[in-house]
Amino acid sequence: MAISKVKHLHWVRLDNAAKIYPAARRRNWSNVFRQSVTFYEDVDIDVLRSALDVTVKRFPSIAASLRRGVFWYYLEEVENAPDILEEKSYPLVYMSHNEMRKCALRVIVYKDRIAVEFFHSLTDGTGALIFLKSLTAEYLEQKHGIKVPCEHGVMDRTESPSPEELEDSFLKYAGKVPSSRKDTDAWRLSGEIEKDAFLHQTCFQVPVKESLALAHKHGVSLTVFFSAVIMEALLNLQKEKVPSIKRRKRIKLLIPVNLRQLFPSKSLRNFAMYTIPELDPRLGEYDFDEICKIIRCKMETEITSKHMGSVIATNVNDELNPLVRLIPLPLKNLVMKAVFDTVGERKSCLTLSNLGLIKLPEIMKQYIRRMDFILGVQAAAPYNCGMLSYNDTVYINFIRNIREPALERHFFAVLQNMGIPATVESNYSNLENN
Amino acid sequence: MYCINCGVKLADTEKTCPLCGTVVYHPDIKQGPATPLFPADRVPKPNTNSKAVNGVLIILFMIPILVCFLADFLTNGQINWFGFAAGGVILTYLFFALPLWFKNPNPVIFVPCDFAAVIVFLLYIDLATGGRWFLSFAFPVVGAIALITCAMVTLLYYLKRGHLYVWGGATMAWGGLMMLIEFLLHITFGLPFSSWSVYPLIVLVLLGGLLIYLAIDKSAREALERKLFF
Repeated sequence: MAISKVKHLHWVRLDNAAKIYPAARRRNWSNVFRQSVTFYEDVDIDVLRSALDVTVKRFPSIAASLRRGVFWYYLEEVENAPDILEEKSYPLVYMSHNEMRKCALRVIVYKDRIAVEFFHSLTDGTGALIFLKSLTAEYLEQKHGIKVPCEHGVMDRTESPSPEELEDSFLKYAGKVPSSRKDTDAWRLSGEIEKDAFLHQTCFQVPVKESLALAHKHGVSLTVFFSAVIMEALLNLQKEKVPSIKRRKRIKLLIPVNLRQLFPSKSLRNFAMYTIPELDPRLGEYDFDEICKIIRCKMETEITSKHMGSVIATNVNDELNPLVRLIPLPLKNLVMKAVFDTVGERKSCLTLSNLGLIKLPEIMKQYIRRMDFILGVQAAAPYNCGMLSYNDTVYINFIRNIREPALERHFFAVLQNMGIPATVESNYSNLENN
Repeated sequence: MYCINCGVKLADTEKTCPLCGTVVYHPDIKQGPATPLFPADRVPKPNTNSKAVNGVLIILFMIPILVCFLADFLTNGQINWFGFAAGGVILTYLFFALPLWFKNPNPVIFVPCDFAAVIVFLLYIDLATGGRWFLSFAFPVVGAIALITCAMVTLLYYLKRGHLYVWGGATMAWGGLMMLIEFLLHITFGLPFSSWSVYPLIVLVLLGGLLIYLAIDKSAREALERKLFF
């Protein structure tokens, strides 16, 4: 089958969730995340370039540039695949508007690793993973002459994208009754911010088997288990930093939810919502079981199609409001940024995004050593955390823009108390001027 | 390899523990070569667009110039006082906004330039008003102030130590300047000698002497520091 030469998509409106990200950008922060795949051998850049040329045509809404209209931003398919870049000393280097205007995704190669960094308006973690898996499959096919079956998220690169893949599922699955956005503020982590915008990445590698056994012992999933570990670490950190119990603030963790598991959507664009379990440290001490229970209950009650439908409805109603639609883009940006700053970011200490266990076609596994998922820091909070499981290991990547690894230390202490072995590596411990 | 302080297992790439900063060490095990997670050159932040800010500043400075021009021209039908106002605005721009164009503006270059601009502006006022005070008064006074200030700035900028000596010497020189001003006022504007300049001279020389004394006597400096810290 030949690759279709027809242009399938010239431009597309931003989906409901994507609209906030260009407006919320600031001079040194943009909402970018990274997924990467590491092979057992070094990457062949020429082959990758050729694989990328094929793959970008299959994903016109992901390999796209961010353009400015009079009333809204929009995505425009890129003519050519973006250049392959060299790795810097830290991930998720600030993506300027000029760069996004050329292409809002980056492909970065470092020795045996291919990393793709996505501006969040393009897609969410699930869509990005499908792009990365398809790119990797195309690369391996071209490099080793193997045939990778189109399963577990690997798409046929010779097919044309279907309309369902390009739809804005938020509009389709919005509920009838909107829910309230009212929520309490969370404790803000703080520290000495790196002046040169350096981001510290700390990766914990934890065995799946031991963690899963412990999670099951507490009667919860791996996501809930590690959410509980981070929340306990946050509680301990706050205890250390704020001695007076009355002055302590709520510990809240934002956990993104893939809505494709609730609604029959095939969209490759953003289709995720979130849930925010919280603990109030002023009420007393929490033991680990209690934390697990609180998170599990919160997730069970909120991750339902009814609840999520109503949350989507709130956002979609704003977008469809004729007054909002008629405001010119620069003015709209100001309003959306103000909303983002007051509503979006104050409601959690950090995000823990779990892509889950990564499944790949069997034939690909022999070439791939590890995979990683790294979120950028929040605009006003110094931390974030992305995790995934591949083979027998959970890769938990903390990112921070402050110097002190205080949360990571507490996180490790909690793991250590439970007897879970963890290996740590970072991008900063061997820097000379660290 | 494990961290000897916090006990975390470290990847082979780590030179220090990422959690507690302890240097990785084991008397028997040698760390094998490993590829670090990221290249170890710390890339500084891409420069933010300061040119845009400076461009906006130029526009902001242009506004009063334009307003003055229109006000002067429309009310008088000719250019009357516009030059004075525009000169003031341009001087303000040279003092505060021009150095922003440079990454590390060197005051040893900018301060003399600023004084040169002031002298030119004063010459313009003198010529425009027919005052005849430039050569005999404004030029020597501003020149002397420029000399003292430039010497001070240069010494403070390039010397690592001995700043108190510089301040002391400069304070005394300001005293001398007072006498020069009184003398020039006399020969330019015919003001009688009343020896007013002696009083600031005495105060400034004493103050300068005190600073130099403090520069010499370390214990006095420490005693003063102990009393006055805030």
